[in-house]
Amino acid sequence: MGLITNYNLRSMVVRKGTAAMTAGGIAMVVAVFVMTLAIAQGFRSTLVASGSPDNAIILRKSSTAETTSAVMRPDLPIVESMPQVARGPDGRPLSSAELLTIIALPRVTDSQPANVPVRGVGPRAFDVRETLTFAEGRRFAPGTREINVGRLAVGRFQGLALGSDVRFGSTTWKVVGVFTANDAAFESEIWGDIDLMMPAFQRNGYQSVTVKLADRSMFDSFEAAIKGDPRLYLQPKREQDYYAEQSQAMTTVIRVFGTFVTLILSIGAMFGAMNTMYAAVAYRTREIGTLRALGFSQFRIVTAFLTESIALALVGGVIGCILALPVHGLSTGTTNFSSFTEVAFKFRITPALMVGGLVFSAVMGAVGGLLPAIRAARIPVARALREI
Amino acid sequence: MKFLGLVLKSAKRSKRRTLLTVMSVAIAVFLFAALRAVLDGFNAGAEAASSTRVVTIRSTSLMFQMPISHLETIKNIPGVQDVTYASWFGGIYKDPKNFFGQFAVDPEGYLRMYPEIQLTPDERKAFLDDRTGCIIGDGLARIYGFKVGDKITLQVGIPLYGQRDYDFTVRAIYRSGGAAVDNQSMMFHWKYADERSMLKGQIGWYVTQIANPDQAPQIMRAIDEKFANSPYETKTDTERAFQTSFVSMFGNLSLLLGSIALAVVITTLFVAANTMAMSVRERTTEIAVMRTLGFPSATIFLLVAGEGLLMATVGGILGIAAARTIVNPRFLNAGGFIPEIGVNNTNVLVALALSVGIGLLAGLIPATMASRLKIVDALRRVA
Repeated sequence: MGLITNYNLRSMVVRKGTAAMTAGGIAMVVAVFVMTLAIAQGFRSTLVASGSPDNAIILRKSSTAETTSAVMRPDLPIVESMPQVARGPDGRPLSSAELLTIIALPRVTDSQPANVPVRGVGPRAFDVRETLTFAEGRRFAPGTREINVGRLAVGRFQGLALGSDVRFGSTTWKVVGVFTANDAAFESEIWGDIDLMMPAFQRNGYQSVTVKLADRSMFDSFEAAIKGDPRLYLQPKREQDYYAEQSQAMTTVIRVFGTFVTLILSIGAMFGAMNTMYAAVAYRTREIGTLRALGFSQFRIVTAFLTESIALALVGGVIGCILALPVHGLSTGTTNFSSFTEVAFKFRITPALMVGGLVFSAVMGAVGGLLPAIRAARIPVARALREI
Repeated sequence: MKFLGLVLKSAKRSKRRTLLTVMSVAIAVFLFAALRAVLDGFNAGAEAASSTRVVTIRSTSLMFQMPISHLETIKNIPGVQDVTYASWFGGIYKDPKNFFGQFAVDPEGYLRMYPEIQLTPDERKAFLDDRTGCIIGDGLARIYGFKVGDKITLQVGIPLYGQRDYDFTVRAIYRSGGAAVDNQSMMFHWKYADERSMLKGQIGWYVTQIANPDQAPQIMRAIDEKFANSPYETKTDTERAFQTSFVSMFGNLSLLLGSIALAVVITTLFVAANTMAMSVRERTTEIAVMRTLGFPSATIFLLVAGEGLLMATVGGILGIAAARTIVNPRFLNAGGFIPEIGVNNTNVLVALALSVGIGLLAGLIPATMASRLKIVDALRRVA
């Protein structure tokens, strides 16, 4: 470390109070930045985790979500018989025709009715979604009024514990298993037998079909086959693309909001940093004069004070990241407006997000420190030395 | 008051620093007022909800519909004055991103139920007379530039309504006379949608006007009992509860916005307190001289605290002025995704109180420092 850098870093420590307050201001900004983006990150990865690269979901043409899609019963065998669909050991297609409806259940937190997704699934659903594993209990038995509930739904909506009875669709259902699904959106859902769900909800068709492809590279030929069949008014999508689309609107809103708020807030913090650095320069006018007299160039002085300012801001950035960390893994929920269902998800602070926060703090330090640093470099040597 | 000149003088001592501090307080107050306005915008519907209107939906969830025959049954319940109905259409205007509320309503009954929807008698007649006519809120009209006489085509979003596109003619632009009805929605004749619907006579929800708000609990129970054990069981709630459940869909907004607002306040406190401390440190000698001249330490305390208060208040006023201008439906819209937001007088008062609070808190420690200064030590100090 050069003499001058060392000098600047040490002077930072000399004025502890001021430095701490400036860093504190920047820390708050970074904490807000990281936390809001952690919401967007968590929501997005929850939905994206719901899609598997091996699966395709088939919806009615021009439908943007399962809740507004419809697939007629006679369409199912046509889709299932296509050669691109993978087969199980028994030679039967790995596909699940599904129904997604919404029931109102009170939330645990505020007792307000929430739109809880209920998915009626076929017997092969658990083979198509391999990430599903049971944390408690067992799968529902086909043909019975038994249901399985996602782990996050259990904690978020009232009356969904293992063994309890839930009333919806004019009948009573028993929870016999709680499943996890790698934090995917399925963890907010209730699953049951589609053949019992359809009459309960007065439906006579499916809403979507999810199939496992024999090979993920076959998607294009699968899509061509479905579009080429005049009997089908359907559109297949890669499951991952479908869920990524689902998350887009909400993620964009949160990101824009978070960035907008933190950008404005950061201006305030930058003014604070500027004040501190101007004061630092004013205090040390004589020292700066001495450095210049010793032969340090103007440029060197600028970089030195910029370094000091950035270092100060980085300290704030690190504190901010640490302040934000406790929210990681906290679960919360919001409505996914493309399907109108409530999705529970967890705040996710990724390393990339923290690096983003640190870069952001460094930029605040650089912008806040630039003018004071230039001022420091411009002080005439003779006048600076004369100052008391 | 007689010290105001002195306070101003010391604020002017370092103009740049004062300016930066005032600006950072202004920005914080701006953000704070804007966040409050957003939260109020979300809650406005529930706040303005009428106590004489109750809403009946299917007990399963809002997604499910019920037959039009419920209308007569509800009408005959004692205490009920008037009933109307509406359905969510969920159509797509050009692109799914263009989201706004579209309601298929019983036109006459709906306008009677919601006096908040303000139309002139001519506009009202024009809408009632045209089966494919619609009315558009002035907020929505501003976003998409809709004018009376325009044709609007909606693609079907919910398979129930068939596959063909629906064409509408804008017959009027309505103004909202209360937050219970937002001004970013479109309403049209329920019959038009029902004609093409795959299932006839389906209603999303009923709105019931009751004579006496004290009777609400009994009437709500009476409505639900009428349909208990039928395939179309209902759940009736007050308009307020209905609106609140929509707001709660966004998640815990008040916690989110509240924590951000807290962070904003703390950040500003750091910045402002820091500046005040700096300015006191710079003036150590000066303050010592003043004490020697006979200024009591209480006066010194007030001088420093007053400076902080002055800066924060000026910053607060600037921030509020900016929020009033920028956070305004004319400038900002979220395309019908969230309600209209604007900074109201309560927001202004709270924000002003906040800036005064920041000023007092920020000045507190530096002012105490200044008033406790030991004269001899301070005078001995160089610089």
